[in-house]
Amino acid sequence: MVTYIEKPFKRLMGIRGIGQVLTVTAGLVVLSVIFGIMNPIFFSSRNVANLLRQIAPILLIGIGQSYVLITGNIDLSIGSVVGMSTMISATLMTKGVNPWLAVLLTIVACLGVGLSNGLLVSFAKLPPFIATLGTMTIARGIAQIANNNYNTDSIGEAAQGLRDFFYYGKTFGLYNTIWIALVLWIIFNFILTRTKTGRHIYAIGSNAEAARLSGVNLVSTTTKAYLVSAFVSCVVGLITTATSGMGTMDAGNTYELYAVAASVIGGVSTLGGQGMLFGTVIGASIWGVLQNGLQFAGAPVAIRNIVIGIIVVISVLLDVIVRSGKSSRKKRTEASV
Amino acid sequence: MKKLSMVLLVLLIAGSLFAQGAKEDSSAYKIYLITMDQMDQHWVNVDKGAQKAAEELGSVDYKWLAPDVKDDAKQIESINNAVAGGAEAILLAANGPNAVTAALKEAEEAGVTIVYVDSAANFPAVQTLATDNTAAGTTAGEEMLEALKAKGVNAGKIGVISVNSATASTVARETGFRKAFEGTSFEILETQYCNGDAAVSKDMSANFITQGVVGLFGANEGSTVGIGNAIAEAGTSVIGVGFDKSDMILSLIKSGHILATMAQNPDVMGYEGVKTAYRALSGEAISQDYVDTGVSVLTKENL
Repeated sequence: MVTYIEKPFKRLMGIRGIGQVLTVTAGLVVLSVIFGIMNPIFFSSRNVANLLRQIAPILLIGIGQSYVLITGNIDLSIGSVVGMSTMISATLMTKGVNPWLAVLLTIVACLGVGLSNGLLVSFAKLPPFIATLGTMTIARGIAQIANNNYNTDSIGEAAQGLRDFFYYGKTFGLYNTIWIALVLWIIFNFILTRTKTGRHIYAIGSNAEAARLSGVNLVSTTTKAYLVSAFVSCVVGLITTATSGMGTMDAGNTYELYAVAASVIGGVSTLGGQGMLFGTVIGASIWGVLQNGLQFAGAPVAIRNIVIGIIVVISVLLDVIVRSGKSSRKKRTEASV
Repeated sequence: MKKLSMVLLVLLIAGSLFAQGAKEDSSAYKIYLITMDQMDQHWVNVDKGAQKAAEELGSVDYKWLAPDVKDDAKQIESINNAVAGGAEAILLAANGPNAVTAALKEAEEAGVTIVYVDSAANFPAVQTLATDNTAAGTTAGEEMLEALKAKGVNAGKIGVISVNSATASTVARETGFRKAFEGTSFEILETQYCNGDAAVSKDMSANFITQGVVGLFGANEGSTVGIGNAIAEAGTSVIGVGFDKSDMILSLIKSGHILATMAQNPDVMGYEGVKTAYRALSGEAISQDYVDTGVSVLTKENL
């Protein structure tokens, strides 16, 4: 009987990095309860629906950043790709292009950034920080030039279907934005945990040289991770267009850092090779709950920034402590042998 | 590119000399308008106002000279060209407070009268004609207050969406807005900064509506679109008042989700600017060194 319960528990605890995921999940529950006590509106059905919809975009870019972080790299272009996506899609729609064709063209353009990121990092071997800093600036420039340095006009009545699909509509009682995030999460979680590509992504993050020697294609695997990141950023840009009904050039500013925060709080290691997308869900939720809850608590934005910053640092600190603890234990066992 | 623009400039100057020769009106005052760029509708409207004043006054030889894009070096070039072209007065929308002061000093030494429109530099001029953002924010607050009172609402919470805490114009608008509510029973909540991103502004506005606010204020275009979309989605009668004039904001006003938006009056800057320059050139002393060109309150009724 005891083993019957213990076995799956042991298996769960055996997953690398699960400790931090469980810790932050507990933290999320505590935070939510505190905000709920401070202001009962927090748990009102309207706010819960809004809150989940506010978390969805953070989760999406978090998935992208997690993929890239697990390969041991980073993607700083996320926020700019969001801006580029919203500006390109909205500009096309104001010029009378069919909204769904505009979506398709936007996705192609954004995947171009992902492809460039992947090739610059894996093929040209640029440091990922520099390569994606470059594409970040370029993508923001494209966002600005898309409509000649202006925010766009209204995307109009013709795009109402698109606005409902990405943001305002509901399916089975939940906002579509939440469904989009959920479906993409399931797909990308499946790829990461159940396919060869997923295993390769972890492998090159753990030890790129060892992975290469055992036959993993570094260029294609790294590029795939960056393509995922560009794709989810593009989707967030489309959600942004749907939300606003227009394109703003500043959309997505600093989102890449939100994405890092969601990933890192959720236990994805910035050193590569470790992390799970369930953690990213928790990380994104903590971000969203703090944003929403602190607004209800009447805290100035500065306080919110400080709190989130502290949580990010503590999360990484936990990771570092756990890792050093493990390696010293390993050394001890090795020594005793 | 430099060479090409030089050739174009020479042609432009030659052309202007030729045009002037054709007019044979040596008594006309030569007034140049120099803006930050040529594309922005805002500058186009400053030019329209200036043209109107020049036509009304008659003996004014007016010209709009602007770089193709906002660039300090190009604006300095424009100032130098205006001086070389024989400008007697320059209406300038300075790129920044300090970037063009050296060029302005040279212009002044050449006897050019300087008037600022829209934004001033750190160099003495005859007059500055610009939007007083604090006063404009107060106007926005008064509009909201009036609408709330008309609905019989005399107390409640009000949400503010702004850009960030470093942009002088939006900070001034917010300060002015808060001032309008001093001494009332309304409570203005902590400002949410959303970087001018209309989607983020919408989310934060939705949170404000959940909190039960009676009014929402947006300090710039993105903020205003955000509050409008949130009010539209929630289907509430929250009073939304915003800033700037854009296609999207106007459609939100027409659909009744935004009550009013504060639009700057660039045409007034150009119109009054030329008149000031004319008076100064005629030898009149200009006593007022700052003129608030105010804002127009755009509502469903006056669109």
